[in-house]
Amino acid sequence: MNRRLLFRMFRVLMFAALVLGMASGCDSLPGRPDPADRYQRPDEVTDFTTLFATNCSGCHGAEGRRGPATPLGDPHYAALAQPAYLERIIGDGVGGTPMPPFAQARGGNLTEEQVSVLAQGIRAWGADVAGSTPTPPPLVAASPDQNPGSPARGEVAYAAFCADCHGPGGAGGEKAGSLVDPAYLGLVSDQALRTAVIVGREDLGMPGWQADQGRGISAGEISDVVAWLGSQRPSSAQGRPSGDGR
Amino acid sequence: MEEHEHEALPPAVPPVSRRDFLFRLGLVLNTVAAAFVGIPVLGYIASSMFKGKAQQAWVALGNLDSFPTGQTRLASYRNPFTTPWDGATADVPCWVRRKPDGDFQVFAINCTHLGCPVRWFPQSGLFMCPCHGGVYYEDGSRASGPPPRGLYQYEFRVRGGHLEVRGGETPNLSEAV
Amino acid sequence: MNRLRALGKWFDDRLALGRLYDHTLGHRIPLSSASAWYVFGSATLLCLIIQLVTGICLALVYVPAPDQAYASIEYLDYVQPLGWYLRALHYWGSNFMVALVTIHLIQVFLFGAYKYPRELTWMVGSGLFLATLGMAFTGQTIRFDQDAYWGVEIIVSILGRLPLVGEYATHLLQGGPIVGSETLSRFFALHVFVIPGLLIGLLVVHIRLVLVLGISEYPEAGKPLDKETYAEDYEATVARSGIRLMPEGGGKDLVFSALILTAIILCAAFIGPKIPNGPADPSLIHTVPRPDFYFLSLFAAFALMPPYLEGFVIVYLMPLAVVLLFAVPFLSRGAERHPSRRPGAVVLVVLVGVSLVTLAYEGVLSPWSPEMDAWSGQPVQPQFVEGRSPLEHVGATLLQAKQCRNCHALDGKGGKRGPDLAGVAMRLTPDQLVRQVLQGGGNMPAYGKHLAPHEVSALVAFLETLHPANAAPARNSAQPSGGVAGQPDKP
Repeated sequence: MNRRLLFRMFRVLMFAALVLGMASGCDSLPGRPDPADRYQRPDEVTDFTTLFATNCSGCHGAEGRRGPATPLGDPHYAALAQPAYLERIIGDGVGGTPMPPFAQARGGNLTEEQVSVLAQGIRAWGADVAGSTPTPPPLVAASPDQNPGSPARGEVAYAAFCADCHGPGGAGGEKAGSLVDPAYLGLVSDQALRTAVIVGREDLGMPGWQADQGRGISAGEISDVVAWLGSQRPSSAQGRPSGDGR
Repeated sequence: MEEHEHEALPPAVPPVSRRDFLFRLGLVLNTVAAAFVGIPVLGYIASSMFKGKAQQAWVALGNLDSFPTGQTRLASYRNPFTTPWDGATADVPCWVRRKPDGDFQVFAINCTHLGCPVRWFPQSGLFMCPCHGGVYYEDGSRASGPPPRGLYQYEFRVRGGHLEVRGGETPNLSEAV
Repeated sequence: MNRLRALGKWFDDRLALGRLYDHTLGHRIPLSSASAWYVFGSATLLCLIIQLVTGICLALVYVPAPDQAYASIEYLDYVQPLGWYLRALHYWGSNFMVALVTIHLIQVFLFGAYKYPRELTWMVGSGLFLATLGMAFTGQTIRFDQDAYWGVEIIVSILGRLPLVGEYATHLLQGGPIVGSETLSRFFALHVFVIPGLLIGLLVVHIRLVLVLGISEYPEAGKPLDKETYAEDYEATVARSGIRLMPEGGGKDLVFSALILTAIILCAAFIGPKIPNGPADPSLIHTVPRPDFYFLSLFAAFALMPPYLEGFVIVYLMPLAVVLLFAVPFLSRGAERHPSRRPGAVVLVVLVGVSLVTLAYEGVLSPWSPEMDAWSGQPVQPQFVEGRSPLEHVGATLLQAKQCRNCHALDGKGGKRGPDLAGVAMRLTPDQLVRQVLQGGGNMPAYGKHLAPHEVSALVAFLETLHPANAAPARNSAQPSGGVAGQPDKP
């Protein structure tokens, strides 16, 4: 009799412990929602990785590499591009090219803060090579209006630095396609051409300004090549690509 | 049981006992009372059915400057009839297109198929719907997908440098604004 | 012990519990109906009880006003002790309840248990089924997140298609011309007062009918039902070999209910509640509204049916389906109950079941919807970038920037509305590509106004590269030399 009573008390205690355990332990179960997964308004997202993945990776590639558009994730590009410059391009886009404006003020989806987060984040990709020697030419020409490159000199520089891959006269070669296709020139800005010459597409096999040609292409020659390519842009290009990066 | 006692009465008047009378009186009184409760209840519930047109009013959408020519922008108007606890639901979004000639078109956000929010993509000049894939051109006309017609358009006017729409109604096929 | 028994007798003298037991849980049922198949009704009842208990608890915190509803749900999830767990129980309880009531309905249909004399039981049960779906919909609505808000807009749009009464019906449901505070209050009242009241009322009638008419025997093939002798036979069977519903017949119900309860608890504890997907703010248009799973098939049906059918479906077919559901006992008049003798019924269940599951599956994938962020967030894969010319790179960029990817996948990544573009060069010649892009057609919008000539050239140049290395692109058969009009030959 006594043992049965004890046994029954034991059962009651076990049951009570189970109930208490369930009530208190529940709050640490895997089903408990994690505040980190909480919905975030799209205009309040300030995580660079998320912002870049949803807004930029489509054209510029995952992590800014191996996409069809400018390789933002190339450390040499990231180190050269000033935040203010990036913010302007992201916010306002580049007229006449596929780069659309992302700032809300221009009809895009991103707040000023988000644009700034993107610019800082891209910039951070270049931290490792920033300040390395030799100093690369400035990404944005100092004052292209006062010192426009010379198309004639550009043709010479082209033959020296570019023709091996892009073919004589820019018509395309074995290793790389045409640069003088009117449709291409009609959709690419002078700044994008300049960026391509300086930074290259190392992710796709195109060297940057310091190509293994003995000496790198000089700042003046870059302006000249860009001027020469620009001079072949068809006049019919509706709304000449305006993104000179200024 | 008492029918024999009432044989003398004319047959047109049925024999009525006091209990019968009370029962019938009770029924009548309760029916009247039920009507006094029931009709207001029905009216209370049904009143929402007739709120529509009378509530529509001209409401401001925004400064003309906030709608650049040749672009389509998201704007929202305050529902002319709101309660203090309406929260965000009182701000009704719509797409404002300022045509290159400066004229306006104000589209409801709701897809004409089943009311989901269409999103504007300026680069391709299309409105796309996330629910069933309706697509519209920049002028609101139907481009593809299941929608039965183009986007609903609000009436609008320009007053004192402000764009105003006649709002207060979620459009659907039976009341296309 | 004696004192306890005396207390029991004291209550029994006053409440006549013994007699109540004899007529309810203790009433005799045919031995054959104590089958493992007959457990779904009682399990649905268990879910209802869970829903009532957890629902009342949630109502202690939830605020049915648009400015605070979402905040109060988040409060339940993150602040209120065990609030998330009760939300999870309520959510999973509703999922199981919808599933179980559906299985119960199918089982009763397959077993022909709705036949004489249980026609009314079926009809009341159909009412319970619809009421359960009504609870599910109103429940997902008062979560008042983005899915809820746009779900209401979808229902309103469906009602708006009704001829003549459309406007009044939408206003009645919304409590005015716009979804707002009155709409939420309305759905709240429906969810916590009107439909539960209806549900409990119908349930009382349903159980009353089960008690009066008895549980149907397990169907036997080749033993047709005879209305003349049915009642006598049934009573004779019960008198001969009947057992009491409780405790003899109800063991399987108790075990199955316990299993269901365990499943609900495990789902709640390990998967948790449905996290609301953002406040019901209509200006947050970056949303992709989807209903909870029970309405995914309906959602998919509206995407897949030809547009000219929609009006017909809404005005005639959906009400007709409800009428048919209620009329089942009067349409199916055969005397056989066993499914092996009713192939039509089995085929019908399989057809409806397969259709609904297929539609729900399609609803999850939603291939008809553009993937709204694919254009900026779905990278062009490196294999489509490498070895391309500068012009082709610009073309690939345009493919993204003009939102083509929202509808077209590249090697499986991107929207599924249009055809996958990997390999498109093998299907269309450059001329055909130009025409398709400019003029659209076949459910594709025309891009003519939004693509400059250079852009078309660049885009088509890129599309031309989309073919496997070992397969030649499509050519114009009128120019067998391989040259393509307006395009220089490429190496």
